[in-house]
Amino acid sequence: MDSLRNSLRRLNPLSETATEQSQGTQTQGSLAGRLRDSDFVESMPFWLPPTLLVLLFVYGAIAWNIAISFTGWSGLGQPEYTDLSLEMYRQLPADQNFRASLWNTILLLITFTGSSLVVGLGLALLVDRKIRFENTFRTIYLLPMALSFVVTAIFWSWMYASNGVINTTLNVFGLDLLTHNWIGNPQFKLAAVIVALIWQFSGYCMIVYLAGLRAIPDEHYEAARIDGASTLKLYWRVIIPQLRSSTIGAVVVLMVFALKAFDFIYVMFGTNPGRSVDILAVTMYREAFSSSQWAYGAAIAVVLFALALTIIGPYAYTQYKRGAL
Amino acid sequence: MADLQLDAVTKVFTERDGNQITAVDDVSLTIEDGEFLVLVGPSGCGKSTTLRMVAGLESISAGQVRLGDTVVNDSKPKDRNIAMVFQSYALYPHMTVRENMAFGLQESTTMPDDEIERTVESAADMLGIEELLERKPDDLSGGQQQRVALGRAIVRDPEVFLLDEPLSNLDAKLRAQMRTELKRLQNDLDVATIYVTHDQTEAMTMADKIAILNDGELQQVGTPLECYHEPANLFVASFIGEPSMNFFDVTRDDSRLVHDHFRYDLSNETGDELASAQGELVLGVRPEDIDLQSTPDGAHTYATVVDVVEPMGNENNVYLTIGDEQTQTFVATVDGMHHVEAGETVYAHIPESAVHIFDRQSGHALRNRTVESTTIPETKL
Repeated sequence: MDSLRNSLRRLNPLSETATEQSQGTQTQGSLAGRLRDSDFVESMPFWLPPTLLVLLFVYGAIAWNIAISFTGWSGLGQPEYTDLSLEMYRQLPADQNFRASLWNTILLLITFTGSSLVVGLGLALLVDRKIRFENTFRTIYLLPMALSFVVTAIFWSWMYASNGVINTTLNVFGLDLLTHNWIGNPQFKLAAVIVALIWQFSGYCMIVYLAGLRAIPDEHYEAARIDGASTLKLYWRVIIPQLRSSTIGAVVVLMVFALKAFDFIYVMFGTNPGRSVDILAVTMYREAFSSSQWAYGAAIAVVLFALALTIIGPYAYTQYKRGAL
Repeated sequence: MADLQLDAVTKVFTERDGNQITAVDDVSLTIEDGEFLVLVGPSGCGKSTTLRMVAGLESISAGQVRLGDTVVNDSKPKDRNIAMVFQSYALYPHMTVRENMAFGLQESTTMPDDEIERTVESAADMLGIEELLERKPDDLSGGQQQRVALGRAIVRDPEVFLLDEPLSNLDAKLRAQMRTELKRLQNDLDVATIYVTHDQTEAMTMADKIAILNDGELQQVGTPLECYHEPANLFVASFIGEPSMNFFDVTRDDSRLVHDHFRYDLSNETGDELASAQGELVLGVRPEDIDLQSTPDGAHTYATVVDVVEPMGNENNVYLTIGDEQTQTFVATVDGMHHVEAGETVYAHIPESAVHIFDRQSGHALRNRTVESTTIPETKL
């Protein structure tokens, strides 16, 4: 502990003078001296500035947003903090656009997360079978994750275009019946987005599951074989249940990404993608920054925030209970 | 219930660069029904590979494994009616003890649930782990996990019981306790058992029969005391016994064995016995067969200097040097009350009846110590 304190002093000339002063005043109040000498005070220069910045720009901004959502602020004026009400929240349930985007957000959240997990697990199980070129496959599957949403959105809009890769391929095989205007037809728009996002994120799930699979000792496979389990039962009853914590970790990350799928939809469709693929993040942006309905946009943001909390909250709580936080 | 036979079983691994490594070479063994065979040898000797071939976890390169009259070379593990306990126990962490023990019965038999329940409970009762049935493996101590792993194997009512270093993760005291318990359990179950270990104490104390492997080759199969008193070769002699046998490189000069620092005269009887043994030999003697005397008295007694004394309480391991350069060291085990100190000169008596002679080139035993047949007690319980 002393060596740490010394190294801290060396790093920070401020505390050096503080220590000298405290030595000079040691005969006075020992409480003040002890306080100045304490690790808490000495380490302050390191953690206080970032803490203040985070408090101001993250939690301060959240608080300010919540405050705005209680006002009636719109247009070019300034928000009136004297007249606060739940008016904006009262309008939400009646708003067809909001309801559609809430529904789309939840649908996206569930289908995207579920499908990515299933695809990722499948890939992980295949790659884990000590195949050749395992590293190559792993890199190929993970690569989409490294790309920005902007790039993948443009890439997929080429794929989905009426004369794009998908339709052209279908035509080549004489499946003209199946060609559609994937990103024009409201029936397919959300599905098109979900498929593209699965493509981008199943590689991540694969890596998470692969790490989980690697942590399972070979003896579990062998013991199960000796116990007489078929391959299917072996995975279903012995291996996959052991991937529970991998799954929970991946679910949280995927859901948070799904809530933030804004960039992808914004690049592909702009601020007004249409009711069939509107999600809360896009609606919020449109209300606030296109229509200047600041308070209404802020209220939607609060709903989005609450959704994110309901996902993270239980996870954070269980991690805390297990002592992992 | 049936005998298990290994007939010239061989395992060859092919490395990526095409190199072939023979892990198990032409091993033939018979384990009779109810017999406890311990497969012992240093790490990497092929003992675990042999066990895994019997289990069906490793393919067999050549030879046959037979259970009763059936060749099981190509049978899947689940069709062999074996049960195995792994060194790491391999308990499924997400299942309770009860589920762990029931898993094999659920997967490999059509036994109805209530009967599985009864079987699991009676096995748990037998092992004294009834209170643990609803717990998860992570909440159990090493010894308790060990019992669960045994229980999981027992409930299957297998024809062959395979144990792969099951005690090596336990602390010394628990290990000694589990040794006796396992031995008693195997005796009660009366199932053919192969027990793999690198620990010669486990081999000696538990086995009906020991099979000693080195470099994939079977060195000797016999009762523990046969292997101890009548080792087939230098490897067995050095591997079995703690502290291990002392060896002196000697050459035969008519009726004596000549070492750099001493000469060992052979009686006419022994000389005749060793008529064919000429040239370079190895003289072996177990530490406990060496007497330490304060005065030279009689034949086969040599002046030595005490180097180190290891008191064990009941006995002392005394490390001795012989010769002026003190290059040859050996160890004698004497009674714990026998007081010797480092630096002291003592006289070591190596009785002729306790001497083993090996061929230095081949390592084969040419003469083993004489043992009164009555001194080897029956090991069967």
